[in-house]
Amino acid sequence: MAGNFWQSSHHQQWLLDKQDLIRERQLDLAVLTEEEYQKIFIFFASVIQSLGEQLKLRQQVIATATVYFKRFYARNSLKCIDPLLLAPTCIFLASKVEEFGVISNSRLITTCQTVIKNKFSYAYTQEFPYRTNHILECEFYLLENLDCCLIVYQPYRPLLQLVQDIGHEEQLLTLSWRIVNDSLRTDVSLLYPPYQIAIGCLQIACVILQKDHKAWFAELNVDIEKIQEIARYIINLFELWKTYDEKKEIQGLLSKMPKPKPAPQR
Amino acid sequence: MINKLKRYEKIEFLGEGQFATVYKAKDIETDNIVAVKKIKIGSRQEAQDGINRTALREIKLLQELHHKNLIGLLDVFGHMSNVSLVFDFMDTDLEVIIKDNTIILTTANIKSYILQTIQGLEYLHLNWMLHRDLKPNNLLVNAAGVLKIGDFGLAKLFGSPNRINTHQVVTRWYRAPELLFGAKQYSTCIDMWAVGCILAELLLRVPLFPGESDLDQLTKIFSVFGNPTEENWPGLKSLSDFIEFKPFTPIPLKNIFTAAGDDLLDLLEGLLVLNPIKRKECTECLQMPFFSNKPAPTLGTKLPLPQNIRKTKEEKPSLKRKLLDSAEGGTLSKRLFF
Repeated sequence: MAGNFWQSSHHQQWLLDKQDLIRERQLDLAVLTEEEYQKIFIFFASVIQSLGEQLKLRQQVIATATVYFKRFYARNSLKCIDPLLLAPTCIFLASKVEEFGVISNSRLITTCQTVIKNKFSYAYTQEFPYRTNHILECEFYLLENLDCCLIVYQPYRPLLQLVQDIGHEEQLLTLSWRIVNDSLRTDVSLLYPPYQIAIGCLQIACVILQKDHKAWFAELNVDIEKIQEIARYIINLFELWKTYDEKKEIQGLLSKMPKPKPAPQR
Repeated sequence: MINKLKRYEKIEFLGEGQFATVYKAKDIETDNIVAVKKIKIGSRQEAQDGINRTALREIKLLQELHHKNLIGLLDVFGHMSNVSLVFDFMDTDLEVIIKDNTIILTTANIKSYILQTIQGLEYLHLNWMLHRDLKPNNLLVNAAGVLKIGDFGLAKLFGSPNRINTHQVVTRWYRAPELLFGAKQYSTCIDMWAVGCILAELLLRVPLFPGESDLDQLTKIFSVFGNPTEENWPGLKSLSDFIEFKPFTPIPLKNIFTAAGDDLLDLLEGLLVLNPIKRKECTECLQMPFFSNKPAPTLGTKLPLPQNIRKTKEEKPSLKRKLLDSAEGGTLSKRLFF
C-alpha cells in the first residue's frame, strides 16, 4: 500500500496500547480466559483466511480483512456482533477498499456456506445462517467502528524490502512471509507498526533456518525491545499450537463465547 | 449513526450529480455550515453491493489526507447502502468564477488559484495518490478565498507496477493525450495535463480544448501542439488506441495567450507537453519563476469571488448552473455541485 504511513490513520489512530486492549476486553474476559479468547480469534482468522482463499483473494486483502476484524473487537465485545457474521463482512469491505473488484453478495454467501460446511464442520454443525441483508447491515457498523479508517498497512511490503537488503534469499522470504501470516493470529497488528512486525518475523525465520544475520540486525535503526516483544507474541502462539487441538476444543469455546441476544432469523 | 441524521440540519439543496445529491446543512453541535453529500442508492443491483464504491474511495483516501488545499471529510453517517459524507462547506468553485463575466482575473489572481491547486496536488502526489478528475468544477473555493481540491470519487493510489488502470477517467476536456490514446499505465502526469488545461482556462475564460468526442479532443490538442511523433514521444505508437491524425502545424502558445507573460507561458508549456514523461511535476512547477516573480499571488481574502458570496450568502448560484448544465447534457458521467 502506497501513501505515507507516518501520517496515516493506521499510525495515528490505530496503534493501540496493550493496557487499553485489556481494558476493552474486560467484558469478554469475564467469561473467557485470555487463552480461550485468543483461541477464538485464531479460529476466526482461519475462517477469514479460508474464505479469502476460496474467493481467490490476494493475501493483502485477506490480511486487511483480518485486521478490520481485530480492530472491531478491540472496541467491542464479542456480544455485539456474531464473529461468524463479521468475518465475511470484513472480507466484503476489504475487497472493495483494496480495489480487488466486486465480490457479489450471492457469491460471498455461497462461499461462506461451502467453507463452513467443508472446512469448519467440526465447529459448526448447522449451515451458515446469514444472508445478504445481514452482511449489508453489518458492513455499516463495521465502517463506523473502524472510524472510517480503511487503509491498513501490512508487513508484507517492508518485508520484501528487508529481505532484498539482506541479499536475495528465497527460503528466508518464504518462511518469514508465512510467519507474517501467522502473526495475524496474535494482537501484534493492533499494537505495533508493520515494519516492526516484519523485522520480528524475519528474526524468527532466521532463528528457525539457523541463518546468522546478527550483523545485519545490529545495524537496523529500530527499537529492538519492540522487536523482542513482537517475537514473544509469535513464539507464544507457536507454543500454544503445540498442545492445542482446535477440532476438539472449538465447539466448547464457541458455545461459551458471549453472544448477541436475538439470534438471526433462519 | 442514525442519530446523526438529526445532527445535520438541512438548509438548502445545492445540486445533484449522477452519484449523489448535495445539501448545505448546519451542524447543530458546532454551528458550522457543512456540505452533506448523500450518495444515491442506484439500482437494486447496486444496493446489493453494499456501501457505494465511489463513496468508499472518498472515505478511505480523505481519511488519510490533511492539507489546507484538499477538501476535508468531517463525518460519515448513514445506514446500509444509504451513505452520506459530510464535507467542509465551500461557497463556490472555479468553474463559476471562470464563467462569471463580472469577475476580472488578473495575473496575481490566477497565480493564487493555480498555486493553491498545485500545492494541494503536490501533497496528494507525494502521498502516492492520483486525483484523476481535475477540472474547474472540482476546484472548490470558499468565501475566504481558499481553494480546495474536491471530489475524490475517482482518486486512486498509484505506484504498483503492473496495476492496470482504466483510461476512462478525467472529464474529456481535461483528459491527457495518453489517456485518449488508451494508456492503461499512467501516473501523476495525467493530473498535470489537467492543471495545464485549467490554467489555460483561467486565462481564456473558456475551455482550451472543448472536444466533442475523444477524436475531436485529440484533433483540438494537435491543432495547437502539432502531431506527436515517435521522436518526441517514444512508445507513442504502441498505445492501444493510437491512430495517425492528419498533419497539423503547431501554433506558438504566445499567439493564443496574447496577454500572458513569459513566465506564465513557461509554466503552461511545462504542463501541456504531449509526452507524459516530459510534463513537469508539481514540485518542479512550484520552483518555476512564475511563482517567485512579481506580482505576488493575491491574498485569499482579496481574491475576486462571485458577488453573491461575500455580500448576501443567501443566493443560490448552483441552481442556474444546474439548468445550464442539463441543457448542454453535461460533459461526462459525473458532475457534482457544491
